[in-house]
Amino acid sequence: MKRLRALNHKAHLLEQAATDGHREEVQLMSSVVGCTTTFDPGWEVDAFGGLASLCQPMEADLYGCTDPCWWPAQLADSLNTARDWTDGKNSALRDWRELQTLFPGD
Amino acid sequence: MRMLSIKKAPMVIVALCCAAASLPALAAEYLLTVTRPNNLHIVDPAKRAIVRTINLPGDGIPGAIAVPKDGKTAYVLTNRMESVVGVDLDSGKPVFRADFSTPQRRVKGFFAVAVSEDGKELYVHQAPVQLGRSEYKVEDTYIAVFDTADGMSAKPRRTFPAPRRISLMAATGKPDHLIALGWDMYLFNTKTGKLEQTFPVRHWNRPGIGEPDVLAMWGTFEQARALSTPYFVAKTDVPPDSPEAFKAGIAVFDLDSETLKVKEFENATTAMFSSVVSPVARNEAFLVMNQLTKVDTDTGKLLKRKDLDQTYYAINISGDGKEIYVGGALDKIAIYDADSFEKKGEIQMPGGADQSIGWMRVVKR
Repeated sequence: MKRLRALNHKAHLLEQAATDGHREEVQLMSSVVGCTTTFDPGWEVDAFGGLASLCQPMEADLYGCTDPCWWPAQLADSLNTARDWTDGKNSALRDWRELQTLFPGD
Repeated sequence: MRMLSIKKAPMVIVALCCAAASLPALAAEYLLTVTRPNNLHIVDPAKRAIVRTINLPGDGIPGAIAVPKDGKTAYVLTNRMESVVGVDLDSGKPVFRADFSTPQRRVKGFFAVAVSEDGKELYVHQAPVQLGRSEYKVEDTYIAVFDTADGMSAKPRRTFPAPRRISLMAATGKPDHLIALGWDMYLFNTKTGKLEQTFPVRHWNRPGIGEPDVLAMWGTFEQARALSTPYFVAKTDVPPDSPEAFKAGIAVFDLDSETLKVKEFENATTAMFSSVVSPVARNEAFLVMNQLTKVDTDTGKLLKRKDLDQTYYAINISGDGKEIYVGGALDKIAIYDADSFEKKGEIQMPGGADQSIGWMRVVKR
């Protein structure tokens, strides 16, 4: 970690978890295998700590995750609260630029 | 094999305009898949073409597909997992609809939809939530049984309790038996609602083997009559930094003998989402995500693997075991030779629409 410096709140929490001896807990969560881990950062890293088992291209997994509300923290919940998020945008590969950011008040 | 009313129009026109199409007079297999926003496609894999597109009523997104043995009606989970719509594959017309939710009670069916082999009953695992003004109250899960003859406003004829987290279901070869995959596999009697047998998966208690993780979202069992899914599991009797510490395996439930087989076949190095058993060589199974993989479920040997051009979620196989179909996620189905893994064809979905979480089923006509 000498060359990495935490910049945001999430990164500080990760740093603190390692400092407080919670490293094993994070590893345990990482053993959950999908294309990535449900409670971990989403598409940033796969279950093996690399990138090869992430969906290729990334857009291949976009609707597969929003349609079943797989990662409601990272993606719009199109099952319940954002049912129209992808209306008219039937190809993730083609239409992803048109998907809008959602905010808590939306 | 009887003629169907969708035969008359030229194939291209049929695919484009969703007009009456046809399945040929000879016995043949068709793939069913779904795309956004709410379409069901009948695909002729021999012609590498879509022969019919059926626009499903209501809100999408379509996902799970259940088909009885006669292959006449497809039941699709849609409307944000709050409805099942049944469509006649000959006419393209809706013949069944069950809406689970009411304004005060939201009910989801998370993939687990199955139909009895005779097509008379539809089973849906349901998760209800009471929507109060200041609180949501989560209710117990259950399996709802519908009479498929109840038409467009079907309500459950009966329900029986079922554990949470069930994502796949299939009628077995024995009357009134339904297998459901959740944390474990549960064999229900659909008439009495009795849980007749539990096949431990998460609770298998195997020495040196931990609790498996299963992502079972794609139901594919009609060709070999075997419901299968990849799983991943930690080995607890080796050092955690050993290459052996994390294994990939496959679970296969034989729908006729009602037996479960599990087999690890490699140290886990890649993710696999769904699997299908060969109807010809029943010890061989194929798995897919970023690679196409072939394994021997008896010996636990990895037989073949090939990198694919993109991620595919869903997999199925031809009745002669010679061709592998991969689909789901993006907007195409790819066809591979089951022996050489040579790519033999590709079928583009209309409008480039994504299949997303959609299943890919085979019907014989």
